[in-house]
Amino acid sequence: MLENSGELNSRFWNIFSNQDRQKIDEFKKYMDKFAVNFNLYKDGNFIERSLPFDVIPRIISSKEFDILDRGLSQRIKALNSFLEDLYTDKKIVKEGIIPEEFIYQAKGYLKELVGFSPSKKVRTHINGIDLVKDTATDEWIILEDNLRVPSGASYPLSIRDTYRKIYPEFFEQLKIEPIKQYATYLREAMDYVNCGGINVVLTPGRFNSAYYEHSYLAKEIGAELVRAHELVVEEKKLFFKNYDGRLIRVGAVYRRLDDEFLDPEFFNPESLIGVPGIMSAYLAGNVALMNAPGNGVADDKGIYYFVPQMIKYYLNEEPILKNAPTYLPYFEKDREYVFENMHKLVIKDVAEAGGYGVMFGNNMSQLQLDDLKLIIQKDPRRFIAQELIEFYDEECLIKGEIVPRKADFRAYVVMAKEPKVWKCGLTRFAMEAGNYLVNSSQGGGFKDTWVMEIN
Amino acid sequence: MGQLLTTNVATNLYWFGRYLERIEAMLIEVQRSFDEIIDVDRDAGKKLYKKIWIDIDYTDSSDFLKVAILGDHNANLFDLMSYARENIIISRNQIDTEAFGAVIELHELFEKASKNSLIIDFRFIDKVLSLISEIWGKLTRKQTRNASDYFISLGKYVEKVDFHLRVDKDKDFALVLMDEIDKIVTRLAPNAKFQPHNVNEDVNTILNSINSKIYKIVAKDK
Repeated sequence: MLENSGELNSRFWNIFSNQDRQKIDEFKKYMDKFAVNFNLYKDGNFIERSLPFDVIPRIISSKEFDILDRGLSQRIKALNSFLEDLYTDKKIVKEGIIPEEFIYQAKGYLKELVGFSPSKKVRTHINGIDLVKDTATDEWIILEDNLRVPSGASYPLSIRDTYRKIYPEFFEQLKIEPIKQYATYLREAMDYVNCGGINVVLTPGRFNSAYYEHSYLAKEIGAELVRAHELVVEEKKLFFKNYDGRLIRVGAVYRRLDDEFLDPEFFNPESLIGVPGIMSAYLAGNVALMNAPGNGVADDKGIYYFVPQMIKYYLNEEPILKNAPTYLPYFEKDREYVFENMHKLVIKDVAEAGGYGVMFGNNMSQLQLDDLKLIIQKDPRRFIAQELIEFYDEECLIKGEIVPRKADFRAYVVMAKEPKVWKCGLTRFAMEAGNYLVNSSQGGGFKDTWVMEIN
Repeated sequence: MGQLLTTNVATNLYWFGRYLERIEAMLIEVQRSFDEIIDVDRDAGKKLYKKIWIDIDYTDSSDFLKVAILGDHNANLFDLMSYARENIIISRNQIDTEAFGAVIELHELFEKASKNSLIIDFRFIDKVLSLISEIWGKLTRKQTRNASDYFISLGKYVEKVDFHLRVDKDKDFALVLMDEIDKIVTRLAPNAKFQPHNVNEDVNTILNSINSKIYKIVAKDK
């Protein structure tokens, strides 16, 4: 079913119908010219490719976005409180809101960090929350929280600039929220937790799939882009190695690599892309790491189930945005339901991301369902099951035709003292009709997202 | 504090300046030789490449252009362009966005030529040279200069000296450029102690000295 924002969509089409469609090619040219890439490894080969872009934006009214804004801010505040509590007092566990063993079995939980509180007690600096809009209720539903290293913000930022150049009419005639403040939010978030020194963006390097994004964001926020060996730790302080041999103190690191690779002395000793000793500087309170190591526990799809309870527990508020109806096979009652209804549920491996480990019961044979049942029985903590949400399609212009495609929405929330929700986001769509997997790593494309006022 | 740069970015900017200058300088020579091959000296192209110790073969003036761009030799201009593209991708956050885009566009021209979707002829060379001029222009349009600009300029001047000494044996011109290089080096490493160049040095000494300059400016990238 197509999402239609009524009046706002009509305004878009009224202008679009009078535009020169030949100019759409300019978007692709722009992305090629400026190497706006999301790289892939295929069959062992490194492939540089631009993300497929669709010119028809997702339009969200300001009024509707206001609900998202409040709901997402509320969620990030609760998640930040949860992480801080979990690694310090553990009240939520002690009071039985979340089962103890559930936490300790989460892959992203780092027991080594218990007792440590990061700069200004902020752990969820940059967050990507994945949502879809349910056709049954017309409500936004949260599918996933990404509190480790969410990517993607640079693509709508880059394309918006091009959109304004190619089709300025839309921005002249419609009240579309500007989006450039994302860089300011990031800079403010870094400055807020900075422990004294410069800000840097730590990249695994040029062959990372999101290197474009790392480079783009570093430039936009005025931080230095560095690889691991361009930083050094001395006396539990982190330094940037300048070309002339000077060592410059680093106060905040926006790291674009996962916890396990961050420090070979603390995590995976095989990591070649981590900074030896960076965790010692972090634990001494001499540098802020964004996002905080150990956040992976909150990304765990099993922990996601408990976020509404967290909101009530920490904020004493009712959740503004809902989770998708979720079942934990870990609990016997839920497990029974899951086994009886597997054919219509979506089953997710909690440790996977990027669209991997997602199984649609309605696409599986009885044999496959039976096999999966055995695997779940053996390790019920590893899976969650969700009702299949019929989420809206968005109109896409593919090969000259306007066709409906499933689309989700990644909202970005940046937290300094308070969370700020970016009035844009990454709308990702599936390239094939009927496909529910929209992730870039699964071949999906993206659209611009316009938050618009009715003027 | 001035502009901060990692050794990796600094050296990539330097090599970007060198490769782009080398492509431009070589293409200008290739244009001259192309013109001579037509009806003055069929071996003009071979003589040009001999100066940089490369033996090439071609059937006519048009074929000479293809050999210069895509030939199986280590002054192959498409390869040099690929190196320049790699340098600029690594250091892209320190580069003017429009200049970056023009470099990617320039590489795409070479790539299309390598896949036969563009004909390598005099117009192709003109288009490449015009894009290179555009890139230099975009790189220098700012009112202020910082370390990243000086590393590119250093690469450009070092390559100019290297190229002129190898191809034209023009020591006087090289000495003029050496003054520029010394000024840049002093800006980039004000506290470093360098032996200023000596007008009586022979060509090989000058070549060795300028080619090692970058490694005296940047700290070793372990």
